[in-house]
Amino acid sequence: MNALQLIKYGEIKDGLTFNEVDKPTVRANDVLIEIKAAAINPIDKSIILGNLQSLLPIPMPSTLAYDVSGVVVEKGEQVNKFQTGDLVYARVPQEQMGTLAEFVSVNTVAVSKKPGNISFEEAASIPLAGLTALQSLEYAGIKQNDKVLIHAGSGGVGSLAIQYAKSKGAFVYTTTSTNNVEWVKKLGADRVIDYKTEDYKSIVNQADIVFDTLGKHYTAEAFEVVKQGGKVVSVVGPMDEESALMFGMTDYKLPEELASLSRDKNATYKFIFMHPNGAHLEEIKSLIEDEKIKPIIDKVYPFSESIDAFVHLASGRAKGKIVIKIY
Amino acid sequence: MHILLNKIKEKIALSPEAEAYVRSISTEKTIPKGTVLIREGQTVRKIYFVTGGCMRSFCTDSHGKEHTLQFAIKNWWISDYIAIYNDEPATLTVECLTESTVIEFQANELIGIHAQFPEFEPYQRNNLERHVVSLHKRILNQLQLTAAQRYDLFLEQYPDIEQYTRNYHIASYLGFTQESLSRIRVEKAKK
Repeated sequence: MNALQLIKYGEIKDGLTFNEVDKPTVRANDVLIEIKAAAINPIDKSIILGNLQSLLPIPMPSTLAYDVSGVVVEKGEQVNKFQTGDLVYARVPQEQMGTLAEFVSVNTVAVSKKPGNISFEEAASIPLAGLTALQSLEYAGIKQNDKVLIHAGSGGVGSLAIQYAKSKGAFVYTTTSTNNVEWVKKLGADRVIDYKTEDYKSIVNQADIVFDTLGKHYTAEAFEVVKQGGKVVSVVGPMDEESALMFGMTDYKLPEELASLSRDKNATYKFIFMHPNGAHLEEIKSLIEDEKIKPIIDKVYPFSESIDAFVHLASGRAKGKIVIKIY
Repeated sequence: MHILLNKIKEKIALSPEAEAYVRSISTEKTIPKGTVLIREGQTVRKIYFVTGGCMRSFCTDSHGKEHTLQFAIKNWWISDYIAIYNDEPATLTVECLTESTVIEFQANELIGIHAQFPEFEPYQRNNLERHVVSLHKRILNQLQLTAAQRYDLFLEQYPDIEQYTRNYHIASYLGFTQESLSRIRVEKAKK
C-alpha cells in the first residue's frame, strides 16, 4: 500500500516521501481500517522536525499521523464490538501510528463508530484535538456554571474545548486575535477577548478552570486569574510531578515558580497527556450528532499533496484542522 | 404475534392452516438498542414487522454521511426491499434506535406465501399499494411542501418519535439540515 513516511528528521520537504509498504498486521484486538481521511496535528510537525526524539523515538522510516476515519475491512479474532463495514474514527495509539496510508490497524480500545451526520473528512479532524479538549476539561471536573478560560479559542484544541465546555453549561472566556473574534463567538464562547486590544487578566478573575493551550508565561499567569482552589490544566506547560513519575522521572520537580503559585492559590496544576480512548470518542460522537460540537476544517488536501499540507501546518496559519483525503 | 395476525385479519379471512403457517415461518424477537439487523453490502434475507420500539433504515453516501430512508414503529414493516427484489447486496443499513420487538420472517418465505395460501394475495397487494401511495406522497411532499410543513406531517405520521431519534435522523429523513430543524422547532414553539 502507499504511505507517506518520515525517512529522516529535519525540514518537512527533505524528510517526507511516499513509499510502497506492507499492509499492517491485524492483531487479535485490532480492526483494520481502510482509511478515507486522516488529519495532521502540531505533534506530527514536531516529530518531523525531530523535536520529540527523546520522548517519542520512532524507527525510520515510519508512516506518519494519528487521526483517522474510515471503514472496518477486517477484524482480529477477539473483536466483537465492531463488524466489517462499520464506519469508524480514532486517534490511533503511538505504537500503531501511521494514518497517512491506505490502511491502518488499530486496537479497538481506541476506536469508536464515526458520527453519522458528518463526512469522513470532518470525522478525521476530531480525535486528537477532541480527546485533548475532553480529557483536559474532564480532569478539571468541568460542570454547569463554571467559569472557564480557554486560551487560543481559534486553535484546533481551543475551538473544540469551547464547544465541549458550552455543552457542559460552563461560562466560557477565550482569547484570540482580532481577525478571529467573530468566528470564535460563533463557536459559543460567552466572552471573546481580543488579546491584541484587551488584557485578559483584567477581564477574567476567579475562574474555576484555566485551560492553558499556549504555555510560556501563560502557564504561570493562569494562577493570577484562577480562583482559590481552582484548577489549571495545561497541554503545553511543564509536566507535573505525578505525570513525570509515570514516565519514570523520579527526581522531577515542578518548577518552583509554578509550585509556589499553585500552593498560594491552593489550586491544582495538571499537565494533560492525551490518551487514545474509544469511549471518549463515543461521547464526542453523541455531542457531534446533537450538534453540540461541530468540526472545524481549515483545508482538505488530496493524499498526493500531503507534504504541502504539512508545510501549511508548519506556517501556523490554519484556522481549524488540516485534513488529508485518502480516497 | 397476535398484533400481526389481527392486522392481517382486518384485510382477509385467515384459515387456521394459514395462521399456523404464518406462525411457523416467523420468529418473535426482542432486539437490543443499537443492534444492526441489516448491514450495507451484505445479503438480505429477512423482513421485519415491528411490534414495539423504533427502527430506522438509512444509506451512507460516499462522504460517510447517513441519510434516513424510513423509520419503523409499531405496525410498520422494514427491510431493504431493493436488495430483496433485485437480489443484490444491501444498499441500506437497518438499526434499532430503541430496544425493539419484531416478528422476523425469511424474505423468500413471506414473499412466496401466496403460492401456498392464495388468500394472502390481496393482503400482499394491498400492502404494496399502500407502500406505493406512501412513497409517492413522500416524493410529492418533498417537491411541494415547505420544510415546516414536512416536519408537521412527519410528526403526525410518527407521533412521539422524537424521544427515540436524534435530530440528524429526522433532518436527513426530511431532506434539510439540523440547523433548519432547530429553527423550525423554535418557530413552532413561538406559535
